[in-house]
Amino acid sequence: MPDLDMSPYAAFVWPAWGISALVLGAVTAGAVSASRKWKAELKRLEDDGEAMAQAAQSATGDQK
Amino acid sequence: MFGLANPARFMSFTRPLTPVLWAIAAVLLVVGVWLSFAAPGDYQQGDTVRIMFVHVPASTLGLGAYAALGVSSFFALVFRHPLADAAARAAALPGAAFTALALITGSLWGQPMWGTWWVWDARLTSVLVLFLFYLGYMALRASIDDEQKAARAAAVLGLVGLINLPIVKFSVDWWNTLHQPASLLRAGGSSLDPVFLAPLLIMMAAYGALFLAIWLTAIRTEITRRRVQTLRARQALEA
Repeated sequence: MPDLDMSPYAAFVWPAWGISALVLGAVTAGAVSASRKWKAELKRLEDDGEAMAQAAQSATGDQK
Repeated sequence: MFGLANPARFMSFTRPLTPVLWAIAAVLLVVGVWLSFAAPGDYQQGDTVRIMFVHVPASTLGLGAYAALGVSSFFALVFRHPLADAAARAAALPGAAFTALALITGSLWGQPMWGTWWVWDARLTSVLVLFLFYLGYMALRASIDDEQKAARAAAVLGLVGLINLPIVKFSVDWWNTLHQPASLLRAGGSSLDPVFLAPLLIMMAAYGALFLAIWLTAIRTEITRRRVQTLRARQALEA
């Protein structure tokens, strides 16, 4: 079983682990959130592009 | 291997790989953290030995990420390949984070063991220089508006920084340092007791998988961002 009593070095061990968890968590969250943001933006643009293409197609169809 | 240099092929190859890497990193981290705190305290260092399980992997990945950045910079500069540039750019932030963690956790380990937070010895100074190379690389990219010019200038800096990697690695052999010599990768095998070696290797594997997961996610994001920019430009022309 893990022993969590770090005395007399608790003031060094816990900050080292805590900062590691915080920084790695922040980098992970940043990577995942940036990925979601750009994926959503790409989907929006692709949907807009399709809508524009359909509108252009129906406009040329009306002219015929 | 070179077929993966095609961004579309890279995206389809890494789509199933990325979640697998995230899962491997999570499992290894849970096991590694458990073993790190289940190991006994060292007879000399006491519980501060547990800082080793986050310090050594962070240092290793700080160096490894810069190697990835430097090699990608070489391919970006010589072959002008956009995927290589995306790979270099994506390695910078996680690499800087791992190097910062190596410096901070090393300082937290140094104070109780050496009696000082910091000394200007060759190992600590060369790792600080490595961190500054990361900051310089990111600052340079951010400071030039023209993305192609920024990529070329950053790639040159990325390549120059590769010189620092052997200096970091061999600094403890070439100079007298307060930092201990290599105890893992050295002639004659590891000098670590198996009770500490197992959790350390698992934590190193966990950090490695985590870096790969973050790196691949960031490269995929960079490719998506460039596709968005192309689509925006095309739609602006058509409008």
